[in-house]
Amino acid sequence: MTASPHEPGRPVFSRRAFIKGASAAAVTGAAVAAATQEQVPAKPETFAPGEHEVALTVNGERRMVRVETRTTLLDTLRDRLDLTGAKKVCDRGACGGCTVIVDGITVNSCLMLALDAVGKEITTVESLTQGDKVHPLVQNFAACDAMQCGFCTPGMVMSSLHCLQHRGQPTRAQIRHDLSGNICRCGTYGRIFEAIERTAAGSSATGRGGGK
Amino acid sequence: MNSRRELPGEVELKVGFGSHVETRKVEVPEGDAPPWDVTTAHKVVGADIERVDGVLKASGRAKYSYDITFPGLLQGMILRSPVARGKLTALELDAAKAMPGVAAVIQLKELGHKVRFVGDEICAVAAPTLDLCRDALELVRATYDHEAHNVDFLTASDAPAVDETGDVVEPWPADDGVDKALGAAKTQHTGTYRTEVQTHSSLETHGAVAKWTGDDLELWMSTQATFGVRGEIAGAMKAAGVKCDSVTVHAEFVGGGFGSKFTAGAEGRAVALLSKAAQAPVKMMLDRFEEHTCTGNRPAALMNFRAGVDAKGKLVAWDARTFGGVGHSGQGGGVALPDHFFADSARRRGRDHKDIATDTDPPRPMRAPGHPQGFFGAELFLDELAVLGGFDPLALRQQNDTHVIRQEQYRLGAERFGWAKARNPAPGSPMAGDDPRWLRGAGMASARWGTLGSDGRNRDGGGSPHAVLCRIHQDGTVEMRSGAQDIGCGMKTVLAALAAEELGLRPAQIRAVMGHTTDPSGPASGGSTTTPSLAPAARNAAFLAKQQLRKLVAGHVGVPEDKVTFADGKVDTGTAALSWADACKRIGPNPLEARGERFANYKGEPFERGVCGAQFAEVQVDTWTGVVKVTRMLALQDCGVVIAKKTAESQVLGAMIQGVGYAVHEVRIMDRQSGRMLNGDFLRYKVPGPDDMPELDCMLLSVVNGHSNCSAAGLGEPPSVAAAAAIANAVFNAIGVPIRHLPMTPDKVLKALAQRKGAPR
Repeated sequence: MTASPHEPGRPVFSRRAFIKGASAAAVTGAAVAAATQEQVPAKPETFAPGEHEVALTVNGERRMVRVETRTTLLDTLRDRLDLTGAKKVCDRGACGGCTVIVDGITVNSCLMLALDAVGKEITTVESLTQGDKVHPLVQNFAACDAMQCGFCTPGMVMSSLHCLQHRGQPTRAQIRHDLSGNICRCGTYGRIFEAIERTAAGSSATGRGGGK
Repeated sequence: MNSRRELPGEVELKVGFGSHVETRKVEVPEGDAPPWDVTTAHKVVGADIERVDGVLKASGRAKYSYDITFPGLLQGMILRSPVARGKLTALELDAAKAMPGVAAVIQLKELGHKVRFVGDEICAVAAPTLDLCRDALELVRATYDHEAHNVDFLTASDAPAVDETGDVVEPWPADDGVDKALGAAKTQHTGTYRTEVQTHSSLETHGAVAKWTGDDLELWMSTQATFGVRGEIAGAMKAAGVKCDSVTVHAEFVGGGFGSKFTAGAEGRAVALLSKAAQAPVKMMLDRFEEHTCTGNRPAALMNFRAGVDAKGKLVAWDARTFGGVGHSGQGGGVALPDHFFADSARRRGRDHKDIATDTDPPRPMRAPGHPQGFFGAELFLDELAVLGGFDPLALRQQNDTHVIRQEQYRLGAERFGWAKARNPAPGSPMAGDDPRWLRGAGMASARWGTLGSDGRNRDGGGSPHAVLCRIHQDGTVEMRSGAQDIGCGMKTVLAALAAEELGLRPAQIRAVMGHTTDPSGPASGGSTTTPSLAPAARNAAFLAKQQLRKLVAGHVGVPEDKVTFADGKVDTGTAALSWADACKRIGPNPLEARGERFANYKGEPFERGVCGAQFAEVQVDTWTGVVKVTRMLALQDCGVVIAKKTAESQVLGAMIQGVGYAVHEVRIMDRQSGRMLNGDFLRYKVPGPDDMPELDCMLLSVVNGHSNCSAAGLGEPPSVAAAAAIANAVFNAIGVPIRHLPMTPDKVLKALAQRKGAPR
């Protein structure tokens, strides 16, 4: 990152270069594995450096975007598609603020390149609002006051949604585990746990307390 | 609703809380709404009402400054110094300027000027994407003259002499009173305590979107001081012909601040200049490393105490000297101590404090500046003194604190927390029935915020000549507007609750809008003053708008005005009950509009000064790994009259969690060689996560303080004061050895465990 101080003329370690390198390595690894197996897995689509016009499937809609190979899914959602529910907080996969669901699994969208999301189903927090109606989980976040500044909240909602989809009736320990990739600086965890439990119980009743 | 007297002048109020109710005479300013007191029956105020923008935030539809966009929006980015101390000697910008796509490059530091810390601003660029900004900054060549730097305040030339354990070894200055009282004390004690730099770590980083229309500048800024930064930017752009009223700041949603966002900062000025130069809207939001290293912090502290108690546990002597480990500006490291315990002690006149500069980012206020560090040191010191003297730490506090609210909180807290049972009777040994691997213990600490200033002004009562707007529209919509910001503390919900209470509506029927400087001014969100400053004004606004509607309805129906009442969504004229919507149909195309002023705090004697609290904590220490797990906490908190209970509780619970981080996890680690922060991210700078959560409990004590028409007080700082201190005391009770240096990371815990009596060597 340029923001990291660097000496003039010295190349800066770039995370995006690292991601590109890592995915190239993964592709090579897959090819080696494929040669030794009978069933050849589908080869991921690869892109040459530069800008590409691709289609992303976001919340069930096909959206055409022009992105560079190094552009993250998070920057694409926020800056190209104006889907700003996913927040850029750490940009390093350490806080969960940018959590979206890709093919049924939570992903830190700052750690996924947009081009790697081609052909996959991307679900963002915006999918939880349909006209005047919002998903019961969103309602329960508000009813339990599971937020303060609200900047981590959409990411928390997405991790919570995945927890509920995946577990049905999660225990408190499972909720803690499933949210452990998300950070809230205002300190609203207890009430988030409560919002998830109320949603699982199918109730949107008002709660209180700090997470007993 | 209160109806004691609707005329200004001297009013008798019943103030206090619970069974502690007293009658006080206060002077109500002319034009102020009739004051509420303990006899007022509220329908909305104090109830469990929902945050008015909760659904917007949880659904991702709330637009923060980071989310604002425009056609043709450019991104901005700053090049920062890799050198901690020196001079900028050369800067070549031509290659960046010539790069395709780059719309503007501006220089932020003049040649020959000092570079003061790693992260100091050098220049900035604007380009269509962040990737292109990054490419452009890599083309900039900056050259520095590097001077020797120091990022550790304890090794600075003006630091006090300390021994290898970090204890201050300089002799105490002689003081007859203190020396004599200490000599006569039954038990005396001395100790040195230390805290590290904590970063605010707001999740929305600092930054703004800037957009010019001619000479008018609009800024969508992540700030906790909309009016402050408006003035700051206008001042900085004066040369460009900009006046204060041609700058508009928007901050409708703010992703945290905690004290770090009072200033527009270099990034605020840079984005305005870049946008002007590029003739296009520009967004510049800092990245996480910049946020950790360039936007302030809670400074480090070194604290040395000595004190003595008599045979009954009464403190008879008390002395303190404190040091702040600060940044290059050399200030901002003040330490606040629980002086309420030492009122009757012999004390040295002019307690000394010294700030020690380092070549790092300067501190900024952070939730209860100076308090968490000072209370950690002094409250742990008090627990050590209690143990030495054979006293229960809670009893020692009850013995030495005279504040009626805290005394009640000590009593309620001990009962609710189960103090006697939670204490480890044999610190350093497992409690009965426990696995010997785990040591349990409990601790508590007091909190105080706000005092009567030397000028006689109530620091805890808010004030200043601010105002709030109330508009009632023909379609029944009620708008409450303030140009101040809601940074997550729930101020919009407070405005809605007060309007709902006055107008007989539900809070969800009120549209509360904050964060646009085109609306009446409000304070910066600092010092827990937003609620006490704006709540009385909001009441006045709704009260005056109600009077207008009352007049309109009375005239229409043909009844005297005093027959018209407002309750349960109805406007009752004595002869008929109109629905709210029908009553509002009398309003023409222009809405009824009332501006409620914030008058000065009441003259006369209010109930008590200062906001009080106490916190209790229980911990479990893993003797194998040295990990401290906070298992349970209880906060008792007074915050004036509780207006919006649920959001108020959230603030208290959040402060406790931040206290867990301060006590156990958070530390800024600096590399002495490069002067750079080593853990400027969220992987290695650990803020508490879901798995670190204790069971949290909080008890709000609603106190009618008699300062204003609604006795409001703020809640940002007060619950932040005691948390880390209570946890440190709990660890002391668990392992029998005090850990005098925060955070209590495993290395320090294992070292302390090795010092236990009979510990294996």
